[in-house]
Amino acid sequence: MSKKVITREEWEKKLNDVKIRKEDMNKLVMNFLVTEGYVDAAEKFRMESGTEPDIDLATITDRMAVKKAVQCGNVEDAIEKVNDLNPEILDTNPQLFFHLQQQRLIELIRNGKVEEALEFAQEELAPRGEENQSFLEELERTVALLAFEDVSNCPVGDLLDISQRLKTASEVNAAILTSQSHEKDPKLPSLLKMLLWAQNQLDEKAAYPRINDLATATLEDPAI
Amino acid sequence: MPTTTASAVCTTVGNNILLRLTSGERDVKLKALRELKNQIIGNRTKKLSFLKLGAVPAVAGILSDAVSAVDVADNDENDRIVKDIIVQSAAVLGSFACGFEAGVRAVLDAGADILIQRGCLVEEMPLLKSYMEVVDAGARSLKMIYQSKMAPKYDFLQEENMEFLLSLLNNESENVSGLGASIISHSCKTSLEQKLLFDAGVLKRLTSLLGGSLIQRDASLESIATIFKNNPEVVSQFVGPDTGRTLSCIIEIVKDRFARTRLLASLCLIVIRNASPCYLQDVGIKTKLINNLLELLDDPGRVGDEASFAFSSLIAEKEDMQKLAFEVNGVDKLYNHLQKGSLHPRRFEGILLALADMCSKLECCRSRCLSLQVLKLVVDALAHDSSDVRSAACMCLRSVSRSIKNLSAGSFMNETIVIPLVRLLDDTSTAVQVAALGAISNIVVDFTTRRSTFIRLGGVKLLVQLSKSMDSTIRLNALRALRNLIFLAEDKCKEEIFMELTASLLASLICDPEPSVQEQALALVRNLVDGRINSVEYIFAEDGIILDAVGRQLRIASKAEIEIQGMYVLGNVATGKESHKEAVMDQLLLRAENKAQSCIIKFLQSNDSRLRTAAVWAVLNLTCSSSPGSSGRLVKLHDAGIVSHVKNMVNDPCLDVKLRVKTALEQFNSFDDSLV
Repeated sequence: MSKKVITREEWEKKLNDVKIRKEDMNKLVMNFLVTEGYVDAAEKFRMESGTEPDIDLATITDRMAVKKAVQCGNVEDAIEKVNDLNPEILDTNPQLFFHLQQQRLIELIRNGKVEEALEFAQEELAPRGEENQSFLEELERTVALLAFEDVSNCPVGDLLDISQRLKTASEVNAAILTSQSHEKDPKLPSLLKMLLWAQNQLDEKAAYPRINDLATATLEDPAI
Repeated sequence: MPTTTASAVCTTVGNNILLRLTSGERDVKLKALRELKNQIIGNRTKKLSFLKLGAVPAVAGILSDAVSAVDVADNDENDRIVKDIIVQSAAVLGSFACGFEAGVRAVLDAGADILIQRGCLVEEMPLLKSYMEVVDAGARSLKMIYQSKMAPKYDFLQEENMEFLLSLLNNESENVSGLGASIISHSCKTSLEQKLLFDAGVLKRLTSLLGGSLIQRDASLESIATIFKNNPEVVSQFVGPDTGRTLSCIIEIVKDRFARTRLLASLCLIVIRNASPCYLQDVGIKTKLINNLLELLDDPGRVGDEASFAFSSLIAEKEDMQKLAFEVNGVDKLYNHLQKGSLHPRRFEGILLALADMCSKLECCRSRCLSLQVLKLVVDALAHDSSDVRSAACMCLRSVSRSIKNLSAGSFMNETIVIPLVRLLDDTSTAVQVAALGAISNIVVDFTTRRSTFIRLGGVKLLVQLSKSMDSTIRLNALRALRNLIFLAEDKCKEEIFMELTASLLASLICDPEPSVQEQALALVRNLVDGRINSVEYIFAEDGIILDAVGRQLRIASKAEIEIQGMYVLGNVATGKESHKEAVMDQLLLRAENKAQSCIIKFLQSNDSRLRTAAVWAVLNLTCSSSPGSSGRLVKLHDAGIVSHVKNMVNDPCLDVKLRVKTALEQFNSFDDSLV
């Protein structure tokens, strides 16, 4: 099984023959900025490159306010904002709503407000479990937090991580994007995945300069 | 967790909000509205408790006041607050109506749908119209209401309603055009309404919405499908320069990146295809649709669940589609999904029904299923919690058991299959019982001697019980199963079944109020007396009540199917002993009231060749040369005018009839020459 060897010189020559349009790259960047919610950057990029975003930048501001609220732990505020933006979102997304309520409980526990947390769990979270059986498992995990003295070291302590907030924030972001008929994922990651997959496929047939570090995208010589 | 404390707290908070809603100050009212909105959105439990506290009529009242207040609004500040109150109250009402039946009922009772329409969407409110948020809020809420099963019936026949609908569709706002599309999708039911909408030209606008945002596209696809569904007339009028464009547009969308959109586009095309034979018939589009739907099964959510139902509607009753699907490994793909286990009931049901459709006509599909061991999974599904799944499993079994090859080999008549099936005869759901009867009807057509397995497992007792059901569909299907069970059965088998059935039950079923039940009962008797001579004796049990019933039905029946079965019964009995043949003669020569001639003459003259065939068979059997009494019977038949009718049929257009008549004439000739 001999693999074809392609030298860097040959490779770079082939790469140079491929034409990419600047407009396409700009659109990719804009799409990334808009989907991730970097309003100011998007605005500046639009001015400097003349690329039009495929979303009204004003709506990004609203969406970012919601995302930020969740990331800071102000879930109640986030819920109000989402409902102002589009009251249908939480009404038609039981899973998202449950996760937001769950986050509220987590924040109450994090702030040591045990009494309030208990009441909240009873009044707001328990009904979610009754309404929908599939939430029961996660519900139990969350409520388990109340059982431990040392919450940061208990089996369900990961719920208190900031990563949990980010997960919830991301979920809300995606739901808002979908409601605005926008795709919830930027295109850039898909492109990179495609690149890695293509390289893996090619690896079986040839030795060639590979991109091993996506961040720098430098070509590394083939091992002969 | 104790719930009494929770609801007590809730009520206090709730009452507080409601109290503030009644405040005279607009600021306080507005704040309370927003709080109420944020309490109930996404929260079914809260919706229920606020409902009980009377929130809906209260908010409807506020909306009504606010809309009236707009008329007399005199400054910007006032405008803004009134606008906000309208937006928030519409949002509250819309949320109550979202996926919550009690809420929809309350909202409709309060007349809120009309209020919202008048307040937010009608042209005469110039001040309001300048606020897009009001229009959007109103459109959203109405859409929620119209998505419910209890939505008021939209009267498309009223001209002003149609105009309003068109104005909604033509509106720029996604929410408003979405409302228009939603009204069509949910309210348009009759073919008259479909025609009205088509004639009003909505398709043009809907087509342009196909090029809009994702939400507009999905809504439009659903509406287009609704307008064309089961309406060949409307589809046939779908000609002109616009047709090609709309169709090719939808065909493009079948490749859309969003799964739900692909499903909706496919459904749309299927609806058009099924309604009219001239569109979308080329192999390319057929294959594309099949592959698309099979792929959509991979989607883990609702889209994947519904894809199998769409697949069924694409291939049901269509052998060419089933063949195409088989060629792209449709059976294997469906089986792979079945294997995954712990399927959502809806998905499980859909895949089973899809397999049932695949195997409904093609032996290659059935063989493939059997070799993949699909049966094992299907049999497990017979005991599923969901009655829809149980029903679907039975239908799958019914399709697969149409395989004569496997029936002959006795592949189905074993305890693993029969026991759970027989259990379903006792199921709480009628639909499941009927579906199980369908499967059993096929399985008992067993060409080995394993019918006794079925009897031993209590199958016959249950079938006989079901043949006495109040529900005619169940009676019918139970009889069909019994009829098949008795077909070519051994003597011992027949005896056991007859003892369970009894002559009196059979006689009463022959005279059942439902014609289709009569037909099956007669077919059962036909199979019962078929075969050896001692089988014929059954019909004479209990002083011959069965034979009397058969004769009676033949004299009064008007449906060909019943007459055919009845004649074959008599024909079969006429193969017996002399006494049997004489009994048949008695029945034939007995005249019905007001009738000048024997019923058999009417049958001999029937347009239905099957009936003519059956009648001639009876005559043949009554006059066969080897029987001593035949010449005597021939005389009686001649005197009744029957013989001359048979002679007139010597050139019958149906070959079966012609051949029997030829034999009959030969038999006649072998007797006394003077009768010829």
